[in-house]
Amino acid sequence: MVPTTFYLGLSGILFALGMIGVLTRRTAIMVFLSVELMLNAANLALVAFARSWGDPTGQTAVFIVMTLAAAEVAIGLAIIVAIFRKRETTNVDDLAALKG
Amino acid sequence: MMLAFILLGALAIVGGVITIAARNAVHASLGLVGTLLCVAGLFATLNASFLAATQVIVYAGAVMVLFLFVIMLLNANQPVTERDPVPYVRELAGIGGTLLAGAFVVLAFTFKDPRPLAEGAEALRGGSALVMGETLLTRFLLPFEAVSILLLVAIVGAVALVQRPAAQPDGVPDELEEPLGAPREERVAAPRGAAPALMSDGEVRA
Repeated sequence: MVPTTFYLGLSGILFALGMIGVLTRRTAIMVFLSVELMLNAANLALVAFARSWGDPTGQTAVFIVMTLAAAEVAIGLAIIVAIFRKRETTNVDDLAALKG
Repeated sequence: MMLAFILLGALAIVGGVITIAARNAVHASLGLVGTLLCVAGLFATLNASFLAATQVIVYAGAVMVLFLFVIMLLNANQPVTERDPVPYVRELAGIGGTLLAGAFVVLAFTFKDPRPLAEGAEALRGGSALVMGETLLTRFLLPFEAVSILLLVAIVGAVALVQRPAAQPDGVPDELEEPLGAPREERVAAPRGAAPALMSDGEVRA
């Protein structure tokens, strides 16, 4: 049986990859894809902890996180489409009107 | 078991690298699909069979189809002109990401299992829909209902956000209906006096 440690390490690596993507990509959609990667890394850690404790609570939390992610993607992509219609760009550097 | 973990883990990392490095947005989404499928496989090795199925259906299926649909709708697959707002942002992000990954791995190796792994895996009873349903509809009933309301709000919000304004009645210039970038001068607003009017003798005149 694979130790929990290995799953946690893999989850950390995937999370860091997602963070690099959020920091370096300039298109809103690509930033979104990287956020999905980070969410999945967190889910993997939760499921690994659920097995470690032998408690299905962690798996239930992952189920709820998946539902939240689906809602977040629906709203986020709708906002990106609305912004693209108005501004003809999804580059996050061009969308700095609220920078203050 | 160990072999499956190494294989799926390596593929998940490769998919993640493709996701963050691909020039083309469609390639990046396909890389993420690979990562999501590998994570589903890892869920299966962690006695979470229901979650593995949900991951494939909801994430790799529905969510990624939505992503690909929007990418093609926006035609955003041409590479964006690379103009980094902060100098050396790639190098800094790479260093920061490596440090974060290293910190997570070190942290992971300090983790001690609270009980023997085989015992924990046994207690999960395979993570079937039965186990998940029992937890979800007893201890997590309130979050479950809250999430259902959230999904409803998300549906309504997504429809409201991408909806084009309804066509205006005749005589009111509906400039939002024309495609973006079309010249505005061609459209002439109908003069106000031209609307049909009901005269005092019961006749309708233009």
